[in-house]
Amino acid sequence: MAITESTSMRGAKPSSSILNNETFRSIVFQFVTVVCIFGLGWYFVTNTIDNMAQRGMSAGFGFLNVSAGFGISFTLIPYREGDTYFRVFQVGIANTLLVAVISIVGATVIGLIVGLMRMSKNWLVRNIARWYIEILRNTPLLLQIIAWYFGVFNLLPRPRDSLDWGELFFLNNRGFYMPGPVPGEGFTVTLIALAIAIAGAVLLRRWARKRQEATGKYFPAVSVGLAVIVALPLTVFLLSGAPLAWDVPALQGFNYRGGLNVPPALCALVLALAIYTSCFIAEIVRSGVQSVSHGQTEAARALGVKPSWTMRLIILPQALRVIIPPLISQYLNVTKNSSLAIAIGFPDLVSVWMNTSLNQSGRAIPIVAMTMAFYCTVSLFVSLIMNVYNRRILLKER
Amino acid sequence: MSDSTTTTKTQPLIFQPKPERAAPPSTVGVIGWMRENLFSSVSNTLMTIVGAYIVYTFLSAVLGWAVFNAVWQAEDRRECLDLVGRSGACWPGVIQWFDNLIYGLYPKDQLWRINFGFLALILWVAPLWIKRVQSKVAIGITAVMLYPFLASYFFLGGEKGIIWTVLISAGLTGLIWVWLTTFTEIRSGKSFTRTMGEMLGASGKSEEEQLKFGRLSLIGVFAISMLLVSQWELSFVSTRQWGGLFLTLVISGIGITFSMPSGILLALGRRSTMPLIRLLCTGFIELFRSVPLITILFMFNTMLPLFLPVGVEVNQLLRAIVAVCLFAAAYMAEVIRGGLQAIPKGQYEAAAAMGLGYWQATALIIMPQALKIMIPTIVGNFIGLFKDTTLVSIIGLFDLLNMARSVGEDSRWLGLFIEPFFFITLIYFFFCFLMSQYSINLERKLEAGARR
Repeated sequence: MAITESTSMRGAKPSSSILNNETFRSIVFQFVTVVCIFGLGWYFVTNTIDNMAQRGMSAGFGFLNVSAGFGISFTLIPYREGDTYFRVFQVGIANTLLVAVISIVGATVIGLIVGLMRMSKNWLVRNIARWYIEILRNTPLLLQIIAWYFGVFNLLPRPRDSLDWGELFFLNNRGFYMPGPVPGEGFTVTLIALAIAIAGAVLLRRWARKRQEATGKYFPAVSVGLAVIVALPLTVFLLSGAPLAWDVPALQGFNYRGGLNVPPALCALVLALAIYTSCFIAEIVRSGVQSVSHGQTEAARALGVKPSWTMRLIILPQALRVIIPPLISQYLNVTKNSSLAIAIGFPDLVSVWMNTSLNQSGRAIPIVAMTMAFYCTVSLFVSLIMNVYNRRILLKER
Repeated sequence: MSDSTTTTKTQPLIFQPKPERAAPPSTVGVIGWMRENLFSSVSNTLMTIVGAYIVYTFLSAVLGWAVFNAVWQAEDRRECLDLVGRSGACWPGVIQWFDNLIYGLYPKDQLWRINFGFLALILWVAPLWIKRVQSKVAIGITAVMLYPFLASYFFLGGEKGIIWTVLISAGLTGLIWVWLTTFTEIRSGKSFTRTMGEMLGASGKSEEEQLKFGRLSLIGVFAISMLLVSQWELSFVSTRQWGGLFLTLVISGIGITFSMPSGILLALGRRSTMPLIRLLCTGFIELFRSVPLITILFMFNTMLPLFLPVGVEVNQLLRAIVAVCLFAAAYMAEVIRGGLQAIPKGQYEAAAAMGLGYWQATALIIMPQALKIMIPTIVGNFIGLFKDTTLVSIIGLFDLLNMARSVGEDSRWLGLFIEPFFFITLIYFFFCFLMSQYSINLERKLEAGARR
């Protein structure tokens, strides 16, 4: 910036020719670049039109209302073979988000544990965590996904000899089976109670913070709030006669029926994603905690803050400031990496939309555009959250 | 001192320190270290025992499977299974496929070309690690600019027109020049052209004229290599036959080499004061960073043939390489922008005060500092790119991962997946770990100046 100012001052001298004028040069340069880019774009567009005419392809979104006519092996939202292409798009998005959410939760839990292990005073524990991170971080994610799928879930026993835990959970080469909840009549009351309890806990926390700021009196809002969230719905649930049945999977013929089934591809994908991402999260957690200087702990001790509070009130809020931004970008990475599902045949957005639908309908341009638009939306949404968060933590600074 | 010598008769009490006692055996040596690091408290001891148990089970399972129980000689997978079942690895499959895993389906009698191609690269960059070599920048630049021509002829072969002959000769000239200049610089500290100038030009002439002779000698080298190249014929090997580790290295190598300069340009464009340039660069970077690589690969796989004139065929490898390059450039741009943002404004102002223009200031003052602080991130990006090349297997290229997968699809080794995956995991780990350790090393070396 400073450079341009100084050169533009020099350019303003009457002795210089117009070629040395910064503004003139920048305008010419931009003009030439834009013309080149548009020229290239025009070249691509005309070629594409020619090519599409030759191959009998057509652009436009009209095909979205046409029946797709293919089945999808796993759908989170209801889908039948006769449904439209637009429904396929929705199914793909739902599956992608499902994978992303489960993997994010898993990765955060594992990453937190490994990150804490990495900082342990115990040499052995520290090094186990270190090599866990080094080995998994330095091998490709796709390799891990495929290895989990072909090397583990494919080699599991057939349904008849499946591994089972207490006759409730079963693991075999058709996937993981677990009891599914079947809400009975009056279960909605419990859900309403849960919503009320959560709202109450939030209000309680607000009130506690306000009172503490005004009077200095402390109220354990978090633990009391958690207790309310657990206790209230539970009481309502029991009082209303426990209206929830469990659909336990049972062996019928060659396969299990009933309950919830997680297909092997989803198991492999989620496991690989969670474990791979946990390495990065562990390192983020470690660098975050280590970024808080030791003087903070000592100062807290000197002020007489309880050791159990030091972590929560002094270290964690400062560490989180360092941890959260890269953590969120890791979450975004998980969402993007879930597109590797295509390698093991799990029907996520890329696999079901950009591959199957594209090959079937031949509408390359709208399909590619819609897929990109979805990922761009997710990424824009996440960066919006990031900006809001960054602004919030900025306010607390002097 | 003199005091004590005069009053020796009275024998004053002089402080005589006793020899130090050895530290308690429980605090030094192996035992002390173990007490402090493994058994300092009850919970710590418990963790150590659990950890040791986990390490033991893991290592014994892996080693037992991969080494002690493994089968090393068998005709097919059935024989392996009959011998040890699933309790041991079946390595003959991997051994039989070894050439394919490394070189893909490259003709067996032409494998030396790949080895020579990579050997040429190693020879080219090796002088960078020799202390007395001075023209390291020139060597690095020629490696990026000229080596690709040489390598592509090694790998592809086939008919070469007049233009290709010149380019390949330039590549060969580069390699010869690198080693000639390395030798002369080690011996006399003078570059090859200077040495030749002094030898050819009469001693009385000015330095300028001597250099002229030196440059003439370079043209001589070029003429000789031109002669060599025109006589040199290699059979054509289609890129369809490329595969394995070779293909992985080619794609990631091109991606890494392309990502640096284009990333720098994009980052500068994003920080430019020209609004249109900034808009274009930001748009490109954000678009390519917000979508997964696999969608970009798919896009180029289906759209690139549409973008080009009717009838022009683009081979699949080229489509993948274009996608990987653009993706890598966008990521590298953000890394470099991070480095640029960390440079204090005073540096720009000082450069301007010294009378440096924009490009001079960027090349001589700003970029070296920005790149230096971003070394760990840049190398991290390279590692990520190297790992991401596995995605080309999804669009049907036979890279290392896809080759390993096809071992288990071979009728003789049907279902043999874990062993080749284990093997290529080692390969990937070797390369990535090497890169990360080297970057840590490099960072320490460059920090030495600031540490004092």
